Amino acid sequence: MEFHIEKLSAWCGNLHTSQQWQQWALGEITYQDEDELPALKQIPAMQRRRLSRFAKLTMQCVLDVTTEASIDESNHIPCVFSSRHGDLHKTSKLIEDVAQKQDLSPTHFGLSVHNAVAGLYSIFSKNKQPMTATSAGEDTFLMALVDGYAKLESQKLDRILVVYTDEIVPEKYTPYVPDTEKTISVALILTRQKSHHNVTINFTSQQNKNIETEFQALSFLSFLYGKEQHINVNSTRYQWKLTKL
Amino acid sequence: MNELINEVKQLIIETLELEDIEPADIADDEALFVDGLGLDSIDALELGVAIKKAYNVKIDGDSADSKKHFYSVTSLCQFIAENR
Repeated sequence: MEFHIEKLSAWCGNLHTSQQWQQWALGEITYQDEDELPALKQIPAMQRRRLSRFAKLTMQCVLDVTTEASIDESNHIPCVFSSRHGDLHKTSKLIEDVAQKQDLSPTHFGLSVHNAVAGLYSIFSKNKQPMTATSAGEDTFLMALVDGYAKLESQKLDRILVVYTDEIVPEKYTPYVPDTEKTISVALILTRQKSHHNVTINFTSQQNKNIETEFQALSFLSFLYGKEQHINVNSTRYQWKLTKL
Repeated sequence: MNELINEVKQLIIETLELEDIEPADIADDEALFVDGLGLDSIDALELGVAIKKAYNVKIDGDSADSKKHFYSVTSLCQFIAENR
């Protein structure tokens, strides 16, 4: 499968711009945790108040690429939103309220669903193109790209927006996930023609329970901005092969 | 009543996470929803839960009266005062 990436924006700790990602991939700067959130002043306060950290990071990256690609009401594009855990901080707070027999917040309940940020983006941008929200365990990031590719090719779209966001999980869940996970959002626009970044991605099934799983979003960005021409990414279910074109 | 009005305004601001809005910015008799303050239907649900928690007053979401009670801070306070 050939992937042509027209625009890409990613936010993770102190890494926000493509220049910073490049410097990180080349080892010139190191990753650091950072709590700073994008200001998102372009979103009216009445809409912005509903955005959690998860939603803010996603909106930042989405608006970054869609603005850069001049996407507006005249040429809206279909979207694939993806996340392994979703807005788990919000969901786990709701589950605690259920356990304590508290009334649930209707707002938090409504915004805890997997497609919540897709909805918030659609309301803000007035983008009414088809949008899906997917999840595929540790393979979520790369499978979201595959999903985007499938829609792009099968529907002969010009371009599609693929978005991935995850946060470091709430403390009570940390024993169940790899400690390589980070709080990150990535938005990219795939096209059908050769573009800024061009990569082939192929995957085969495998069964390997003892594998040390990689955090795919960071492996991908490190590969894309780094000097390697080719990488393998292993998960318990798949072996992925990524090659630059 | 004045005390309750200020309490309810504070409750609205905190519950609905209205950044940059002070109690004085909310007019007692102006519409809370759509045209006035600009709240929406999710806010109405959220406010209903918060009022039930704070004053043990339940506003029936299906009743035709609920629209009337939710119209402004004043109408909301009257309803709370009569039913708490």
